[in-house]
Amino acid sequence: MFFILLKKELFIEFRSREVVLSMLIFGLSIILAFAFTSNVSKVIVSNNAPGMFWIMILFVSVLGVHRTFSYEKNFDAFSMLISAPIDRGIIYLSKWISGTIFLTLMQLVIIVPFFKFLLLDLPSNFILFISTMILVNLAIMSVAILVSGIVMRANFSEVLVPILFFPLVSPVIIAATKISSGVLAETAYQLWQFWLLIIMSIIVIFALAGYTLFDFITEE
Amino acid sequence: MVTFFKNKNNMFFLIFVGILLLFNIYNISFNTPMVPDQHWAQKIFYVHVPSAWVGFLSYFVVMIAGIMFFVKRNDYWDNVGLAAAEIGTIFISLVLITGPIWATPIWGKPWIWEPRLTTTLILFLIYIGYFMVRSFGGHIERVKRYAASIGIIAFLDVPIIFLSVQFWAPEIQSHPQVEMAKQPAGILIPFLISLCIFTLVYILMLRYRIYVIQIKDKLIKNV
Repeated sequence: MFFILLKKELFIEFRSREVVLSMLIFGLSIILAFAFTSNVSKVIVSNNAPGMFWIMILFVSVLGVHRTFSYEKNFDAFSMLISAPIDRGIIYLSKWISGTIFLTLMQLVIIVPFFKFLLLDLPSNFILFISTMILVNLAIMSVAILVSGIVMRANFSEVLVPILFFPLVSPVIIAATKISSGVLAETAYQLWQFWLLIIMSIIVIFALAGYTLFDFITEE
Repeated sequence: MVTFFKNKNNMFFLIFVGILLLFNIYNISFNTPMVPDQHWAQKIFYVHVPSAWVGFLSYFVVMIAGIMFFVKRNDYWDNVGLAAAEIGTIFISLVLITGPIWATPIWGKPWIWEPRLTTTLILFLIYIGYFMVRSFGGHIERVKRYAASIGIIAFLDVPIIFLSVQFWAPEIQSHPQVEMAKQPAGILIPFLISLCIFTLVYILMLRYRIYVIQIKDKLIKNV
């Protein structure tokens, strides 16, 4: 059932390209803002590049998650989805994995403009950068999908998602910045392995919480 | 309020806690030793740390109430969660006010991203979101479930937030509790007394607030 739901999410996105495309355009606009506010000063940008990158991803993920749920709000499709005789935790898992795939796809496209527009060198260990990025994406989406699932059918959900999501995801942002700084500076793995543990803990805790709670929060 | 305190036990508890609070103020002001270099500023700890303890205890109660709400499907647990969230936020606000008041003369700045205070601030922000969901979340039955879920995940996030903030800036470790361990022996007993009194105040406030919310609920159901 999980794969059917995941296929549904991917199929809808493949047809409309709404989520990835909107995230991508928004991400590019944020890069522009970063370039203007930092005067593309090599010192400012290179010191803050990992932080800037994850701030951009944070904003973009809010938009992506909102889009993921909003098309199911139309015609009350979500009510029909949860009326299906399936474990609702699986709906959370499918949205979490599909959200991570969309975010990763968007990042794979935006990573080059991000570094090139800000006049930075691309990460020398590109594979390691991408691998850690996917892990962080899993953590970000585990929180984002749960928060969106909670407030999706509330009034002003577009306001409530970032208000709840940003403080909840703060440990992920700290850890992501530390990991990316370590990878970009090519420091030893031992210096940033603690932050990988933080990311893993968040993935486990929020995935379990999301799987368990989604059954309750999606009740009619 | 009148009906709650018509109960003799509640009235006795109120008077008892009131006397203890007055005693606590007197004890902190006149019976605790002055700490060199900190003088009167140090006395804020007898309020700051117990407030933090009560605030985190209250948020723990919100999590337990959230779990119980899902298990028992009883509105009583939603009322407990709401009451604990409100009181917890009052005490956490007190922590965020008293912390910088102490920090200004001691550290020279009101805010230095000290891990415990930062964790408290993040939790405070999450609970602002919690109250926003409560206020304009929409359907009343759904809001109860949303609030219970947020209460659970907020507390689950606390240890990770604390750990990550602590290692984010390891050089900032000058916290009240760390300082307290270095202080003279005369400080510990009044501090523990203050902690117990604050806990009793919290229990009284929680019971009263649950009572008020239950009356409000009954009124809404009867309309």
